[in-house]
Amino acid sequence: MECKRCGNKDPAYFYEGHKGIYCRKCIGFKRILLDEDTKSYEYSVSENVEKFYFDYPLTRYQQEVSDKCRNLIKEKDVLLHCVCGAGKTELVVETISDFLKEGKKVCYAISRKEVVIELEKRFRAIFRDASVIGVYGGHHDVLSGDLIVCTTHQLFRYQKTFDLLIIDEVDAFPLKGNYELMHIAINSAKGNIIYSTATVNDFLLKSIKKRNYEELTLFIRPSLKPLIEPLILYSNKFFLLLYMFRLMQTMTNQCIIFVSSKKECRRLYSVLKHLFSITYVYAESSKRKENIEDFRNKKYQFILATTVLERGITIKDVNVIILCFHKGVFDEGSLVQMLGRVGRNFLNPYGEAYILSCFRDEEINKADELIKRANKEYEMSILRQGN
Amino acid sequence: MKCLYCDREIKIYSLYSLFIEEDLLCSDCRHKLKMKKRKFILEGYKVTYFFDYNSLFKDILLQYKESYDEALKEIFLYKIDIYLKLKYMGYQILYVPSSEKKLIERGFNHLEGIFKKLGLKEVKGLHKKEELTQVGKTLVEREKMIDNYYYDGPPIKKLLIVDDVCTTGSSLKGVIKALRDSCTTICIVILAKV
Repeated sequence: MECKRCGNKDPAYFYEGHKGIYCRKCIGFKRILLDEDTKSYEYSVSENVEKFYFDYPLTRYQQEVSDKCRNLIKEKDVLLHCVCGAGKTELVVETISDFLKEGKKVCYAISRKEVVIELEKRFRAIFRDASVIGVYGGHHDVLSGDLIVCTTHQLFRYQKTFDLLIIDEVDAFPLKGNYELMHIAINSAKGNIIYSTATVNDFLLKSIKKRNYEELTLFIRPSLKPLIEPLILYSNKFFLLLYMFRLMQTMTNQCIIFVSSKKECRRLYSVLKHLFSITYVYAESSKRKENIEDFRNKKYQFILATTVLERGITIKDVNVIILCFHKGVFDEGSLVQMLGRVGRNFLNPYGEAYILSCFRDEEINKADELIKRANKEYEMSILRQGN
Repeated sequence: MKCLYCDREIKIYSLYSLFIEEDLLCSDCRHKLKMKKRKFILEGYKVTYFFDYNSLFKDILLQYKESYDEALKEIFLYKIDIYLKLKYMGYQILYVPSSEKKLIERGFNHLEGIFKKLGLKEVKGLHKKEELTQVGKTLVEREKMIDNYYYDGPPIKKLLIVDDVCTTGSSLKGVIKALRDSCTTICIVILAKV
């Protein structure tokens, strides 16, 4: 017995109902009977939509990787391993264009709803002739278009549909550690898949082990500047907070302060709101959208955030302070992503990043090493190009 | 054994679950459901309900009704069924009808699944004049549903009407209106009230 959708084989998760045996592991996506045929979602892509427009041309490093990707994807899967802010979205645009030209179905899947909304806008600006459709929770009336941008959870609607599927941020929640969802995601493609990520972890390698793939790396940002290396401080909680106050007083740029829980977020906000122009955001807060928008419009200088702001959001000229007061909240992937928020302005790729931690942690070391390694590779490739 | 809803391992937490009936939810979920017997009056009839309509109950009910997860039918009447069995002995039971289309798609009557444990005889003969859905309608539109039911069966002595959730009570009012003249006693049991 194996569930066709999520690949579950554990007999404890099968239940016999009135209509037949079904799988309970993926019941969140509606019941699927064991003998039910999975049908692919049918729609057609219109012609002459492959033209794309860039604000900036690709750098030669990006162009190199993009060309490689275009050739490789015809035969096998591609694992794109790039640093944050390397322009992963732009890298795949030419490949998407190739597929659209042949009238094939393309989908871009990413983890969070906000990022889908932002990406939808971005793709509309790039592919101006095509109809770009965003599919996410609470917005799934229209399921067909020329290019589909959706959250990973919505992929269950399309089984064996896409000729090209791009899964962004494979290393993160909700895909991380969730074999069923990964199976559903991979199952929705009948052609090849591009996995793009900033950190490669064991889970990812394990789940795509059976597929034939090749890794492509890019460690250079379009601004041709290295990644910002963080300043790591280990100390007592009290002194760290004092140090943070000092930092905040002297800071001139906008700054994101990452904390580990929403409780901590609320507590710090209640103190800091009397001293600084500050706002907050966490997943369940009712003013989430407005607060982020206010911060973007430079209404506030500081924002207290949990991991919701960690990925996919580009705000120009920000510094980052990460407060690690609890163990096991921030892992390597999320730390790298948070540090990747710094220096995203094309014209001014500088900034400051601090990690303030009250315990010595393996994950912080790993993230630090990863950034240093990326910078080393960056130097090497710059030297090579120079010669 | 694993919890049917949250997938965690179940530890036996009470003497009741040790000796009489095993719980299919873990103690955490069960605690959050906040089961307590309460009553309110609707159209002059007493309505008994057991759960708060909180987020967990909503999720579980949606998973059961809309995702068609039949396995969850056992968990609603845990600890309650003995009380109901004794109190409503000799009654006939009426499941508030749901839409035909849903019933065919689902493959089972969700209320029958929950209340079949009580072993009461089912009443047939209550029909809808036309198919109306309640979802997304305003209070005024829902009020129209009251006249939507009619009954053409034999007269009943004792009747127990069961439903899952009562929002405005309009469908219950409709059922009561249709059955009022052909019954001597009517009792109503629902799972939760908004």
